[in-house]
Amino acid sequence: MSRNNGIDRRQMLKLAGFSAAGLGLTAAGCGSGGSGSGGPVTIRHSWWGADDRAKKIQQCVALFEKKHPKIKVKTDFQQYPDFWKKFNTQAAGGNPPDVIQNAVTFLRKYEAKNVLLDLNPQVEKGNLSLDGFRAGLEKFADIDGKLLGVPVGSNSMALVIDQAVYEKAGITPETGWTWDQWYAGMEKIRDGQKVAGDVGPHGVMYLYDLILRQNGKAFFTEDGMGFGEAELLPYWTEALARVKSGIYADPKKVEQIKPASALARGIASGEFTWDNFSIRYSAEGKSRYGLAPIPSSDGRRTGQYLGSLMLSGSARTKHPAEVATFIGFMTHEPEVARIMGYDRGVPATTAQFEAYRPTDAPSKAIEAYETEIADAGVLEPITPHPAGADVIEAAFLRIAGDLSLGKASPKDSVKQFFSEAKTALASN
Amino acid sequence: MTHIQTSPGALAPGSDRCAERRNGPGDSAPPVGPKRSGRGDNLAGYLFMSPWIAGFLFLIAGPMVFSLYLSFTEYNLFDAPRWIGLRNFTDMFADPRWRQSVEVTSWYVLIGTPVKLAAALAVAMLLAQKRWGQSFYRAAFYAPSLIGASVSAAIVWRALFSDDAVVDRTQKLFGVGSGGWIGDPEMIIYALVALTVWQFGAPMVIFLAGLKQVPRELYEAAEVDGAGRWRRFFHITLPMISPVLFFNVLLETIHSFQIFGSAYIVSNGSCGPADATLVYTCYLYDQGFVNSRMGFASAMGWLLLVAVGLVTAVLFRSQKRWVHYEEGGR
Repeated sequence: MSRNNGIDRRQMLKLAGFSAAGLGLTAAGCGSGGSGSGGPVTIRHSWWGADDRAKKIQQCVALFEKKHPKIKVKTDFQQYPDFWKKFNTQAAGGNPPDVIQNAVTFLRKYEAKNVLLDLNPQVEKGNLSLDGFRAGLEKFADIDGKLLGVPVGSNSMALVIDQAVYEKAGITPETGWTWDQWYAGMEKIRDGQKVAGDVGPHGVMYLYDLILRQNGKAFFTEDGMGFGEAELLPYWTEALARVKSGIYADPKKVEQIKPASALARGIASGEFTWDNFSIRYSAEGKSRYGLAPIPSSDGRRTGQYLGSLMLSGSARTKHPAEVATFIGFMTHEPEVARIMGYDRGVPATTAQFEAYRPTDAPSKAIEAYETEIADAGVLEPITPHPAGADVIEAAFLRIAGDLSLGKASPKDSVKQFFSEAKTALASN
Repeated sequence: MTHIQTSPGALAPGSDRCAERRNGPGDSAPPVGPKRSGRGDNLAGYLFMSPWIAGFLFLIAGPMVFSLYLSFTEYNLFDAPRWIGLRNFTDMFADPRWRQSVEVTSWYVLIGTPVKLAAALAVAMLLAQKRWGQSFYRAAFYAPSLIGASVSAAIVWRALFSDDAVVDRTQKLFGVGSGGWIGDPEMIIYALVALTVWQFGAPMVIFLAGLKQVPRELYEAAEVDGAGRWRRFFHITLPMISPVLFFNVLLETIHSFQIFGSAYIVSNGSCGPADATLVYTCYLYDQGFVNSRMGFASAMGWLLLVAVGLVTAVLFRSQKRWVHYEEGGR
């Protein structure tokens, strides 16, 4: 029997290793927090993103520490999925970072678990200003009267395109174009240039949300799913046909170049994603990348809303005033905007928006795009997602990918998705 | 085999070996009261073991007991665990992804283990003979075992088997381009199998030790009787090293069930494409740390323990049929 012990011990060690890794990280943060009285106070800030974002944020932090010598900021970053795994473990262990980058998908989830700091008292104390935000963005993370985050930038869903391919095909997307016109363009690209028209949009939750909104529904309601099998089955059936006919990129190729982008690698000529991704693709790819409007069903309603990255505080922070000061600095300080550019979207405050005038083509395109949709009046209010939305978003992406690879029929894929969505809503 | 745990109390009282150990060399005076000295030794023994015991209790036994409790609850790390009886287990059997993970893992164990052991034995037989540069080759073949489990090796593997990478281009030379194994749900599992087979060094070394112990006279006698190479292998080598073979089968099987890192990294953290590398521990990790279903994940962990225990028991039972222990060795 001693042999069996050997096995489960190794098993458990593996698990213990995961938790120990979490413990080690939180422990590392423990010792550094100052007492608050007199000496310098240390707060921890973590975010998700690539290396270039990290470099920019660290510059901002250096500037912040110079202006606020009594506050030190320790930084940490990961890629998006890893960030949330780590944060979840840290938060459960009672020692999350003091300030995190956040998104709308996670607000209700962590609010229900009492993880996020209500910043309203800090606003009242004057540690954080909500003045000067564009387009009512300061209300973005107002959940049931609690201020759970402050936006650092706003962005919108767009069709990021390979301009060279589109020009060669003679396609000029304009505001008000329809899904039929878009599809005709995809066929033209595939037939004329032997390249897929799109990376494959049927796993992108934020795009499907827009399509549903164009038809009077939405992906989420406040506490559950806003659509059913009747909507998803035709959508995924059509998508599978488009994968097979080469309108959407070969999923095997897309899979293998991850984490690189299929658009930047020239496997496809378009991708529905957040408009600030065009900056990343311009850095990674060889072509020119521009932005096209979201097509609609009726030529008018695109269902779009402003998305936003925001900064949130931890409910367990020992230094709420310093947290508020730091968030205020990151959202209002003009110099921060000059360092960050449009990396996290178009700056949320007017002061920062005016401090940074884009000079490079991709950033200029983003500015033009954001101005255009604001002028077109297509923007709608956003619904904060229910707890479990992050798990559902990941399942939507994964199951759509499985469908493309032929693992399951559209019918089984749809069934699997709703079964996982139900579990996620119940257990989060 | 693995280390045998001997607690002081486990030694049979009055056995010769025990007496010998208590009265070590230089301990000339006969023991006045064996009980008393035994107790003192025990105390010192426990004292020396205390770091290990503390570690075992707090880092292994404690979490294990807790995870056993969790496996009957719904627990998302934040809210208190909620008792749900056996529902995690019934959910598991109804979950197509869980069944997929069992299938992928079984497939991996059933293919990977025999191929790896066959490679290890074949190379061990080549290296058992005395020839020039023998120690260099032994070291060279052993080296992948040292680095094979590392993250970097898995990253290299992903690069090797991708579209238009080394393996794909080599295939194209022979006119059988595959478009890369990493994106192909049918092929990616073989990339993982290749990664584990590549690490045949550890079982190889054990086989080598076993081969060295086969008496030369047996081969000589068989040769005189006119037995050919294969015959000698099947009738002398294999039976003579069967205890070593048993040990390797056991160890590698258990090891294969625990595959996580290579599957996770080769698939870029997705355990895909299309769940093709969704090995058991990958799904466990996904449910626990991504979907925050710690109760479900704990239940999965315990079921894996039971399954590996059963497989081990079956292997032990099967010993009588095929493992041959020399009379003198008993």
